[in-house]
Amino acid sequence: MQVKLPHLGEGATSGTVSGLLVKVGETVSAGQALIELESEKAVASIPSPSAGTIAEILVKEGDEISVGQPIVVLKNGGDEPSSMTKDQKERVSVAPSGKLVQDNDVPPVRQEASVPPAPLPSGIPPPAAPSLRKLARSLGIDLHLVRGSERGGRIVLSDLRSYIASLRENARAGTASQSGPVQPPAAPAIDFSKWGPVERKKLSQIRAAISRKMLESWTQVPHVTQFDEADITDLQRKRKIHSPYYKKQNANLTLTPFILKALVDLLKEYPVFNASLDSSTNELVFKSYYHFGIAVDTEHGLLVPVLRDADKKSLLELSVELVDLAERARKRSVTLDEMQGGTFTISNQGGIGGGHFTPIINTPEVAILGIGRGSLKPVFRTTRVEKRLMLPLALSYDHRVIDGADAARFVTGLIERLAGFKESEIRLTDPSKKN
Amino acid sequence: MTKQHSELVVVGGGPGGYAAAFYAAERGMKVTLVEKDDRLGGVCLLRGCIPSKALLHVAALIHEVDESTDRGVTYGKPRIDLDKMRAWKNSIIDKLAQGVSSLADRRQVTVINGRGYFEDPSNLRVETAAGQQFLSFDKAIIAVGSRPSIPSQFDLGNPRIMTSDDALEIEEIPDDMLVVGGGYIGMELGTVYAALGSNVVVVEALDALLSGADPDLVRPVRKKAEQSFKEIRVGARVGKMSTSGPQISVDIETGGKTVSELYDRVLIAIGRIPNCEDIGLENTAAALDDRGFITVNRQQQTAEPSLFAIGDVTGGVLLAHKAAREARVAVDAILGEDSAFEDIIIPAVVFTDPEVAWCGLTEVDAKERGVDVEVAKFPWSASGRALSFDRTDGLTKLIIDPSTERILGVGIVGAGAGELIGEGVVAIEMGATARDLAESVHPHPTLSETIMESAEAFFGQATHLISRRKKKSEPVE
Repeated sequence: MQVKLPHLGEGATSGTVSGLLVKVGETVSAGQALIELESEKAVASIPSPSAGTIAEILVKEGDEISVGQPIVVLKNGGDEPSSMTKDQKERVSVAPSGKLVQDNDVPPVRQEASVPPAPLPSGIPPPAAPSLRKLARSLGIDLHLVRGSERGGRIVLSDLRSYIASLRENARAGTASQSGPVQPPAAPAIDFSKWGPVERKKLSQIRAAISRKMLESWTQVPHVTQFDEADITDLQRKRKIHSPYYKKQNANLTLTPFILKALVDLLKEYPVFNASLDSSTNELVFKSYYHFGIAVDTEHGLLVPVLRDADKKSLLELSVELVDLAERARKRSVTLDEMQGGTFTISNQGGIGGGHFTPIINTPEVAILGIGRGSLKPVFRTTRVEKRLMLPLALSYDHRVIDGADAARFVTGLIERLAGFKESEIRLTDPSKKN
Repeated sequence: MTKQHSELVVVGGGPGGYAAAFYAAERGMKVTLVEKDDRLGGVCLLRGCIPSKALLHVAALIHEVDESTDRGVTYGKPRIDLDKMRAWKNSIIDKLAQGVSSLADRRQVTVINGRGYFEDPSNLRVETAAGQQFLSFDKAIIAVGSRPSIPSQFDLGNPRIMTSDDALEIEEIPDDMLVVGGGYIGMELGTVYAALGSNVVVVEALDALLSGADPDLVRPVRKKAEQSFKEIRVGARVGKMSTSGPQISVDIETGGKTVSELYDRVLIAIGRIPNCEDIGLENTAAALDDRGFITVNRQQQTAEPSLFAIGDVTGGVLLAHKAAREARVAVDAILGEDSAFEDIIIPAVVFTDPEVAWCGLTEVDAKERGVDVEVAKFPWSASGRALSFDRTDGLTKLIIDPSTERILGVGIVGAGAGELIGEGVVAIEMGATARDLAESVHPHPTLSETIMESAEAFFGQATHLISRRKKKSEPVE
């Protein structure tokens, strides 16, 4: 049988073969990883749908392959399912970029549970006693996913027990990298039409992806959000002075480039905010590049293209690039490449309005800055109340790796930095020279 | 008039309806059961399963007596007293109907005899002999069943053209009787009348009798019927019928040629249709499928959330035991439990001579659905028990998944096949393998051994069968 590249989930349809994990002639067991595939934002190991011997390998390292393309030819004595079962599709383990899932990462219980039951002929129910089927139904368990230990694959109570134990183990195994995309808990079906007319619409691909991503971050990362306000009265004045010169260079000098500039300095001072946590090794990965995810509101939903190497770019370059990225995101012409590799994300709602909010961290990053709309407020300065333009800031951070004191320092530093932009930093003396 | 309120109203007191009402009452609900007949029991008890089995018992007795001469016992020619036979049959019905009524009383189910009509999704009007009654309810289960189908061109208003309802009354023993339809109803009642002495001709439009059953299971039935019936014509269509003096003239077309024949009685047994009309369904959101059966979801719920439907009226196989199972699913669903009519095996039994019974996957099914199966057979000619009562015209077979050796289907033809099929149902429902059946001791000498020996035959190790190849059996003749 030919083993084909299964559906990868999250809208990914293709990927690059980053490693071959088997050799021709090698005997593999069902569920054993065949190849490693790098795609969009993830590296996935592709498991064998059944036991057998590798007769031929049809791909090589570096090949770009798409879903449905044959990977290997498997020769086996046992059952030959024509396609992967639903269970196997779900088990394609997905890890964030730069982190490969290896078989030995997988806890033993999980491995056992991940061995799929032999596929049944179409329409034939799984072999289990009526009492057990009733129990499974009441527990919401699909018996097709449970491996029966008895003769003929018959499922008994102990199989159901170990399946439930393995589900629990999987949930405990924790991070997204190990248990794959988090599925929202199945809510009981509610008949909303009881109370009035309703209309049902399928989630778009992009909405579904956002939904998964948000749930994953929200459920797996302990979020804390630090609120503060930056006095940008002076910055605003300077921005207005210099804006016309930027206009001449076809750039729109908004607040965002200043924030990016300021953030680069802060991230250099507090590198943990630019890091990621590798929970499989308990290591912090510090990055010496500064790629900002820029949350863009599009008609299709939230997109987060990445602005690279912000530390090496001038305010002018950042201004130009921000406009370009946002525009292309709205046209959906940003490439997959441009959507990955971010180290810190900003979500600026200032253009729309809004005060403080609690942004959700764009994992595997560890912090995100939410920016509201600046508004005039009475502020006590030394001895008197003054009218100042105050910008709401909301920094959400991963409390596993960042403590509150650091977050407070980070935000305070950011506020100081925003207030302290010098004319010389903004002035466009010679466009060819970097600021 | 005050309106009575029930948590649950069940419309129809057949084996589906009364099972639903009783089960709901046991689960603590206040239940009203509405039945248009003056007795509970429905078609099954009053005009179907039970009376036909009583008459088939008589038929079997007559055959047995016929054949006993060879065994050294000779009786005289049977004298048939139809009135007495009918009274005996009716006494069985009475006993059972009374039994069902007293069970309803004991469970404090309110029974109203009258025709139910839905005025809206929570109100039922009942037309009783004493006038109208109005019931309001939280939920209702529709179990109004089906009736014999009789196309208008056959419905001449002539009592000699009968449905199964009429045939079971055995008003007379016609000399020449035509049975239109070679399904289970036509074959069972044909068997009764043939045994009583009628010259029975069966006409079936399809190419085979008992469609739905595997051909190897039907073969012995056809062979036997060809001996006891006057004639069996398959691929034949009945065109026109007209009254001709005391007889019925029938045009029958076979292979493009039409012949006119005279019969004393005609039984129309071409199928059954649901009783969906005149029950006020149009006042609810409940929907019908293109064949007129009520559409339900896996929990037996109709498109109207307060209404559930079970049994014949929902289509599928029109069998009492299917209705009874659906009754439990519906009541569980109404009580808010997880329940679904899913992956449930409904056995079928045809009480012909010999009986045919099957459950789970048939060979025909497997072929149609492309399911790879192996079939293990044990012919009754190798069964000592079958030989001991001269009925070796039987076959037991198992439909087996070759990779797991799991039993997917069981098919049996032979005397008493209906009593044997239950083991097949349990085997399939429990996910048993051929090895499980082969290693379970079956009592000797009984016909149940044929199930064990079929399983042994699958491994090429049946004691009473010589197998040339492993997993393949060769019948011993």
